[in-house]
Amino acid sequence: MGTVENLLLGFSVALQPDVLWYAFLGCLVGTIVGVLPGIGPLSGISILLPATFGLDTTKSVVMLAGIYYGSQYGGSTTSILMRIPGEAASVMTCIDGYAMAQKGRAGAALCIAAVGSWIAGTFGVIMLTLIAPPLASFALRFGPPEYTALLVLGLIFLAYMSSTSLPRTLLMACFGLLLGTIGIDNMTGHFRYSFDIAELGDGIGIVPVAIGLFGLGEILSTPSATVVSKVIAPKLRQLLPNRREWRQSAMPIARGSVLGFLIGLTPGSAHIISSFLSYAIERRVSKHPEEFGKGAVAGVAGPESANNAASTGAFVPMLALGLPTGPITAVLIAALMIHGVPPGPTLVNEHPNIFWGFVASMYVGNLMLLALNLPLVGIFVNILRIPYAYLYPLVIMFCIIGVYEVSHSIVDVWIMLIMGMIGYGLRKFGFDPAPLVLGLVIAPTLEMSLRQSLIMSNGNWTIFLQRPISLTLLVVCAALLALAALSLIRSRRDWRSRLAEAETGENP
Amino acid sequence: MTLRSDHIAGGVFVAFGLLVFALSGDLPVGTLSFPGAGMMPKLVAGLVILFGLLLILRANESAPFATVRWEDLPHAARIVAITAAAIALYQTLGFLVTMTLLLFALTFGAERRHPLAAAAFSIGVVALTYLLFAVALKTPLEPGILGF
Repeated sequence: MGTVENLLLGFSVALQPDVLWYAFLGCLVGTIVGVLPGIGPLSGISILLPATFGLDTTKSVVMLAGIYYGSQYGGSTTSILMRIPGEAASVMTCIDGYAMAQKGRAGAALCIAAVGSWIAGTFGVIMLTLIAPPLASFALRFGPPEYTALLVLGLIFLAYMSSTSLPRTLLMACFGLLLGTIGIDNMTGHFRYSFDIAELGDGIGIVPVAIGLFGLGEILSTPSATVVSKVIAPKLRQLLPNRREWRQSAMPIARGSVLGFLIGLTPGSAHIISSFLSYAIERRVSKHPEEFGKGAVAGVAGPESANNAASTGAFVPMLALGLPTGPITAVLIAALMIHGVPPGPTLVNEHPNIFWGFVASMYVGNLMLLALNLPLVGIFVNILRIPYAYLYPLVIMFCIIGVYEVSHSIVDVWIMLIMGMIGYGLRKFGFDPAPLVLGLVIAPTLEMSLRQSLIMSNGNWTIFLQRPISLTLLVVCAALLALAALSLIRSRRDWRSRLAEAETGENP
Repeated sequence: MTLRSDHIAGGVFVAFGLLVFALSGDLPVGTLSFPGAGMMPKLVAGLVILFGLLLILRANESAPFATVRWEDLPHAARIVAITAAAIALYQTLGFLVTMTLLLFALTFGAERRHPLAAAAFSIGVVALTYLLFAVALKTPLEPGILGF
């Protein structure tokens, strides 16, 4: 079947009333998650994961993905109206979005952010439709050496793109890899670091680690006294931008869409990085760079489009290669695996209903988000009136339920608490916990493919250099490491150090 | 020499790497042609030690340890203690009782909200959540000694 026929099949799945309902639910929850500071898309997806156990695979993935891209829409609301980034990808929107709000153009900023997000999201889905199936076919040529090289490249790319230093990111990834080795060794049956705790035999789950690090860890680092909610809500009639604002936003939306999608394909916090890069590019190409920081329309349109396109781009390696590019796609992969559907090259051919239904639901979901976010902005903003002292206990309760319901294991909940404390400590010492989750997710695949490669070559490690695909991937790894070392030697202030500074400055 | 945050962080990771080596004593490394269960953990533990040492070596770029702010630690410790108690009681008392107590302890105990408001919030939220999961999402929550 061609792409059009496949897409029609997808729409026949996505337009079923119950699938539509779960797409709507995902978008709604995602918007709320995006609006609320301190609860990121990862916590939202992880907490709601157990609620999808009773659903079929398509509905559960459609809902969870809706939370992810919905949160990118919702994050802009608090950034523009309150100068509080609902989630990290909206940090750049705070600068000019809030400045526009101060000038009485809050409604226009919200509308541009929503329309830009919709265009970028739809562009991302179109690209996903075109790229993912051929990429999956290509990935069928991958054997263990290629997968080993690909996963190593993923880790190095993550470290290179990270806003923290290369050793810090790789240290976190290695910590995650170590956690991933806990449990029974699949090849020899040895118990590793399970300390006679039966539940650890299956290894440490992604959900308790992710919720602990990002959900509980964030709460522990946020004293309630520091969270102040001052809410302003624009009226519906103030939402339309004028002709000049539309004109100023057109090219930034186009550039942000392309840039965001390309960055989304790479490992790392793509949706965050893309918004920072988009802002930098818009400022550079602008005829009036002095307007940036004072309410430049391009400063809202570019980053908001980029982070939405990046969210969609991240689904390409996830669906086509089974490779998570970040902790969020890692949890989505876990969701697919819980339902017995392995993501990766075989997904397109063996489960076309799920793959194409999911892709089609994203077209519909982006439209739903546009309809949800503009007229209902006043309602979403009101959620912020809930005092943080009442909000975080609620989140802790959902964290406990979310982790416990995955496998009814209280050990998992203890792991979540321990990871929460570790997350608190990591934040104190300036570590980004995201590579840890990525390391944990890829650990079993990396170990298995590395050992398989060595066994099939009878211990000859040059097997990675003898096969063209793995050699190419390793050459890219070496180039990235050389580039990172070069910038380290020169102590160059590149975009990553500016990103780190901006993140530190904006996140209390 | 000023003690910096990366001296501490690097030291902790080096110690952690050494601990993994110590705990991996009985895991066979195997050979290159047939790697054992201990190969990957020991390889990665070695990398953790290496990166930890790198962190210590480059610690001058990090902030002095004395400047790391710990004002939020008592609040965080209270939340951890209350959450730990809730986890310990969860399977015995079940969702309804444990979560009501958890929410009340956090809003009244940790946040000093009015006891009546805290109680109403705790009972109301737990009841709504129970209905959402048990009725709407058909995902029964832990029953505990109450049996529902």
